[in-house]
Amino acid sequence: MAVDYNIDARLIKEKIFIALVILLSILAIVPLFHILFSVFYNGLPVLLKGGINFLTGTLPPPGEELGGIGPALVGTFVLVFLSSLIGLPIALIAGIYAAEYPTSFLGRATKLLLQIMMEFPTILVGLFVMQILVIPLGTYSAIAGAFALAIIMMPYVAVTTEEALREIPSTYREAAFSLGFSRAQVVFKVLVKIAKRGILTGVLIGLAKVAGETAPLLFTAGGSTRIYFAGIDEPIGAIPLLIYQLIQQPYENYHQIAWGASLVLMLIFLAIFIPLRLKLREVRL
Amino acid sequence: MNAIETINLNVYYGEKHVIKNITMNIPKNVVFTIMGPSGCGKSTLLRSFNRLLELNETARITGDIKLFGESIFDMDPRELRKRVGMVFQQPNPFPHLSIYDNVAIGPKLNRLVESKEELDKLVEWALKKAALWDEVKDRLNDPATKLSGGQQQRLCIARALAIKPEVLLLDEPTSALDPVSTAKIESLLIELKKSYTIVLVTHNMQQAARVGDYTAFILDGELIEVGETSQIFENPRDRRTEEYITGRFG
Repeated sequence: MAVDYNIDARLIKEKIFIALVILLSILAIVPLFHILFSVFYNGLPVLLKGGINFLTGTLPPPGEELGGIGPALVGTFVLVFLSSLIGLPIALIAGIYAAEYPTSFLGRATKLLLQIMMEFPTILVGLFVMQILVIPLGTYSAIAGAFALAIIMMPYVAVTTEEALREIPSTYREAAFSLGFSRAQVVFKVLVKIAKRGILTGVLIGLAKVAGETAPLLFTAGGSTRIYFAGIDEPIGAIPLLIYQLIQQPYENYHQIAWGASLVLMLIFLAIFIPLRLKLREVRL
Repeated sequence: MNAIETINLNVYYGEKHVIKNITMNIPKNVVFTIMGPSGCGKSTLLRSFNRLLELNETARITGDIKLFGESIFDMDPRELRKRVGMVFQQPNPFPHLSIYDNVAIGPKLNRLVESKEELDKLVEWALKKAALWDEVKDRLNDPATKLSGGQQQRLCIARALAIKPEVLLLDEPTSALDPVSTAKIESLLIELKKSYTIVLVTHNMQQAARVGDYTAFILDGELIEVGETSQIFENPRDRRTEEYITGRFG
């Protein structure tokens, strides 16, 4: 009988443990679902009520009107595009360099620097860009915002690129060299292509990251609620920046616009991530 | 003239002395097997022949290696590697490429062909040479990773042949394969020696006995004995060779 008792006790212990694990897992994901739920719950009615005009229109005066977030939406796309133009080539080259020369001084320094940059407070990046671009140019501008975002994007893209390349078994590298390829051919025609999925993941994470940034834009892009795009040397809007500005206002319609803008931001975010998870075919090693 | 000659060849990884003063000749159009227990330096020796060792920053080489009489250290390593193809222990077709492109990538990047037709012909020729054509001709655009291990290894042989080398280095090419695939590759090697010089590294002495015309026995980086395979197996001059082939170690 003593044996049976022990087994019962162990079964009960196991059940308690499993219940605990499930409970803790739920606790961990509750905030995520709460965010998703509240953004949809509050944002969807706004989006439905505003219709297409919510995406294309400009900010109304305080009061009853809903207007639209057109300038911020355009601004977000312009900023993501410009920052990719600046940041991606440098990031890809830095990541490839760090993977290709892991023991050289420059390679190790690059990697260390990227890891520091990844954890760097983004508001300080904004301050830095303000010092070197906004103050000399005398105005907030799209290019300053894009530059700040590029600095934030680069370490993510570079580090994932480096990791994706380093994960490739060395036998493919040897095989490529044994065919008489130059180092550039080995890296760009073989290794980068094998690591394509990992690198693209890094690029998309970088894009999603900067699409949602607020702090680095505060002192650089300046924001714009009524003008869509006036040139890269003029202030520009961005959705996160708009949300940040609107919720500080005491007007009810501005709060509603902020919820709608939050939903649009989340949809952009999901639009980047869902295809990323579903579509990109992995190269089987 | 010999296909490959090594003269007082030494290889160091940092402080570690892994190839110790090896001098030997590899005649052309033979299967030359390099045999020895794991970790004896066979793979290192093989990788010195196409200067692939130079990918390892800690590797240092002294002495000389000649390819058809010319020192390989006077050659551009890329030109050398086009003349000395290599097949590796694990079948390693490029996983992102189709069967066709795995063979085509060498000639394409090395600009060995001028037209698509010429490339198609070369790919077909290489796949036939590697005894794989009949099995893959209807699915050339499938990913190479869909092939079985033995087929993948023959694809790697086709990939190496497509850049028209004179020497083919194989680093334990069958150690990851089943006996049937192994037998196919072995008979392929005997066929290929008519046109190429084959250097085969193996830790499997039966394999050396089956396919080798000449055999070198390496132990702890030293060349213990080299000669015609029949002599090495029937009448070894060194006690250690005899102990190895009679299965007393390794």
